[in-house]
Amino acid sequence: MVAAVVALALGVFAGSGYEAPKDGSTLLAISLPDSKGQEQALAQWRGKLLVVNFWATWCEPCRDEMPEFVRSQARFGDKGLQFVGIAVDDPAKVGTYIQQIGLNYPALIGGMGAIELSKTFGNTLSALPFTIIVDRKGSIVHTQLGVLKPAQLQGFIDKLL
Amino acid sequence: MNRAEVARRRSAHATIVVIASLAAPIVALALAVPADLARAADLLPPERAFPFSALASGPQTVEARFNVPDGYYLYRDKIRFQVEPASAGLAPLELPAGKLKHDEFFGDVATYRGLLKVDLVLKSAAPGQRILIKAEAQGCADAGICYPPIVQTATVTLPAGSVVPPEAPKKSWFN
Repeated sequence: MVAAVVALALGVFAGSGYEAPKDGSTLLAISLPDSKGQEQALAQWRGKLLVVNFWATWCEPCRDEMPEFVRSQARFGDKGLQFVGIAVDDPAKVGTYIQQIGLNYPALIGGMGAIELSKTFGNTLSALPFTIIVDRKGSIVHTQLGVLKPAQLQGFIDKLL
Repeated sequence: MNRAEVARRRSAHATIVVIASLAAPIVALALAVPADLARAADLLPPERAFPFSALASGPQTVEARFNVPDGYYLYRDKIRFQVEPASAGLAPLELPAGKLKHDEFFGDVATYRGLLKVDLVLKSAAPGQRILIKAEAQGCADAGICYPPIVQTATVTLPAGSVVPPEAPKKSWFN
């Protein structure tokens, strides 16, 4: 009996704390400029397996996970995987960096307001990197503070693409 | 109830408990929004990762401190101070060298861990003046996250009284 109560308590604890919205429509309603100043609406990627990654050039762990994102985008892009980066950063620094690494997905510029935005999706520490995964039906299936490991990413690709 | 019935009830009860213990976490997790909360639970909010304090250390000096716990670090080039009133005259900072960390993109970057002390010199501050110290810092956790710049403040009251320290008694070898 005690075991059952403990198990239930642990299960509840794992799910407690900030509950990010499950509906991705608020996220998809957002519009931000890209590094060239062109406004991009996230709604254009509705129906994709969307990986929205908040990052910055001043965030070393953010930069560490991006080469893997570039590889996955190249491999699964035509099957419906779509990465979108939202940089909390200076557009010029973003422009230089994405050229250097050959970024093959959109880099939008969010500034400090992007951190505030990410808070509404569960980024309680206002830190980076922060990633939101939206399935093809527009539901938020995962939020991640800290690097998204390749095995984790592949798990979502296998299940939802 | 006879013994056999009691035994059967107990066995059924035990089975229910086992099934419940297995099912409960699965049900709870299925209902929860999957978020990597285990990591977030271990990480400190920025004001606890980079706690700032300041105390007057002389008539025109303030010792500013960041007491960074294990597992966190600050970037030297992102440390900024401002004072109010600005007329107190904050002199250019002399920051400790820190420890170099190699960064793929930025090259060697100086960082601080543990207790960082910075002496702030207020060239035109008056005795007994109340000064607001604004400190901006930016850092990361070894666990793999970085915080945006955080601004923290502290108020210090400079000591009142004479600026000139008492003279030490003169020693002479001839008397």
